[in-house]
Amino acid sequence: MSVLECDDVSIQFGGLKALEAVNLSVNEWEIVGLIGPNGAGKTTFFNCVMGVYAPTRGSIRYRGADVTSMPTHKRTGLGLGRTFQNVGLVKNATVLSNMLTAQHRKIRYGAISGMLGSLASFSEEQQLAENGLEILHFMGLLDYRDEVVSRLPYGLQKLTEIAAVLASDPEFLLLDEPTSGMSPDESHEFGDLLLKLRTELNLTVLMIEHHVPLVARVCDHVYCLNFGQLLAEGRPEEIQRHPEVVAAYLGAEDDDGAA
Amino acid sequence: MTTESMTASLLPLLREGKPDAAGWLPRRIAMGAVLAVLLLIPVAVPDITTYGLWIQRAQIYVLVGISLNILMGHLGQISLGHQAFFGVGAFAAALAVVNGGWPFWIALFASAASGAIAAVLLGVIALRLKGLFLALITLAYGVIAENVLFANPSLTGGDAGVNAQPPPGFTTSRAYIYLLFVVMALFYFIDWRLLKSKAGRAILAIRENEYAAASFGVNVVGYKLLAFVVSGALAGVAGAFFAHQPPGGPVISRTFDFQMALTFVLMVAVGGLGSRAGIFIGSATFAILPLWLNSLTHWIPVIGGLLLLLTLTLNPGGVAQQIRPVTNWLIGKPFSLKGEGHGVAAGGAGVRP
Repeated sequence: MSVLECDDVSIQFGGLKALEAVNLSVNEWEIVGLIGPNGAGKTTFFNCVMGVYAPTRGSIRYRGADVTSMPTHKRTGLGLGRTFQNVGLVKNATVLSNMLTAQHRKIRYGAISGMLGSLASFSEEQQLAENGLEILHFMGLLDYRDEVVSRLPYGLQKLTEIAAVLASDPEFLLLDEPTSGMSPDESHEFGDLLLKLRTELNLTVLMIEHHVPLVARVCDHVYCLNFGQLLAEGRPEEIQRHPEVVAAYLGAEDDDGAA
Repeated sequence: MTTESMTASLLPLLREGKPDAAGWLPRRIAMGAVLAVLLLIPVAVPDITTYGLWIQRAQIYVLVGISLNILMGHLGQISLGHQAFFGVGAFAAALAVVNGGWPFWIALFASAASGAIAAVLLGVIALRLKGLFLALITLAYGVIAENVLFANPSLTGGDAGVNAQPPPGFTTSRAYIYLLFVVMALFYFIDWRLLKSKAGRAILAIRENEYAAASFGVNVVGYKLLAFVVSGALAGVAGAFFAHQPPGGPVISRTFDFQMALTFVLMVAVGGLGSRAGIFIGSATFAILPLWLNSLTHWIPVIGGLLLLLTLTLNPGGVAQQIRPVTNWLIGKPFSLKGEGHGVAAGGAGVRP
């Protein structure tokens, strides 16, 4: 069953067509890769899916509901979770504190009641801390709970961000270059983590990723964007051999160790 | 996500690395000593008629500092019109008591509400602006409030002002000072719980990255406005206490001028954005400075400007950055001169003017 359906998504900034008629769909429990050279529009596409930008044309449906013009925080409420290329955490706060921030939507006490120190807020905060610790444990990040995020190595920051997004109870993850800042070994481990997320937490994943071995190993389906347009889609091994993709992307970046 | 098998097993981890009972004792004693000194000042000062006013001014400015810090420190938005919220609160209380015959304690609610409304009006405009334009709009807002709203004789009595008296039971300087200590404690409590709960974390996340905050489910517009509401309400209450200071006297529109707005920004910036201790020291200092250096009144802006310049260039965390080893120790972290920046204060440069 198709969970995310993007139909004819197009967005224009002034004269620049950042996305042009992109059709993309993700099925339940799939891990789908979105690849393409720099500036191809991958992050712009994520921004459309999450509601940072409103597409000039086209529609985005999530589990049957049209979310094209829904504000971001409501999309989160539907179960969409997203990470950012440059780590979307409060960087001068601790890892655990970010785990609490991420659970914002789940909190039952009111903003004012929390501010006035209601008893309900105290007990619920305790529960949030416990949830946060459990997820850090699951992610193998428990030892870093009191570290300030900005002092962690970049790869760990990226993992912390995924932990935080998991704390927001998502059903669908959008990961923007999750392995940037990771060594080849670490990104191999990250592949294991992705597969674990799918089997243990029933997550569906759409990820922007440059690391071809990882994409080839974990992705069920790959879309390749170039200059805002879909260049190709298919199984990872088909995409790897696709002549236009090789020309546009793999060929151009083989010094990256990507090919 | 829940992993049932490990319920309640991880919470004790939260206490790890925190000082044990023996470590708490000296900290408690030190905190108690600071508190005792503060509470004894009003009894110890030689001339309460003069210094009582100084102390009250310092306390009221600390209230304003806490309020302004919510916008500048937590949300990261400059407000050069904060004296408007403070003034609205002052006039609202004074008018409610003098013309409306309300008891002072009920009038406080009017001050909070009018301060909040004044702030939300600015907040709605501020949603769409950033940087220099935001600074200019807040400045214009404050100046307009002073010259149009406060200076309107039919509302505020023009130059004669509104004659406000201290609330019954708190007519002496010392009693009022102790009342203000209670209000300060209340303000600090709200600020503490704000940061330790949903709203504060949402506001800090917005300051860091609006898009990331939204993708954690934070209603960015709503929580920005909430920050304005809370900040405005607190500034309004501070204004009410400013208006009703003993021995009583007129509240005049010209008090709430741009100079005052500038002082407010200077005191939180120099004190250290995001730091409760820094706000206390900065606000109290800037409150007392002009009273103390009475003959040098014209030099106060120069002194303030120099301090701001020094803060921004050499010491962006303000006074708070300098005293952080001590404040960190007080709240249970190891004493370290390496400047373990934590929370929002580190850098202070998070403010986007």
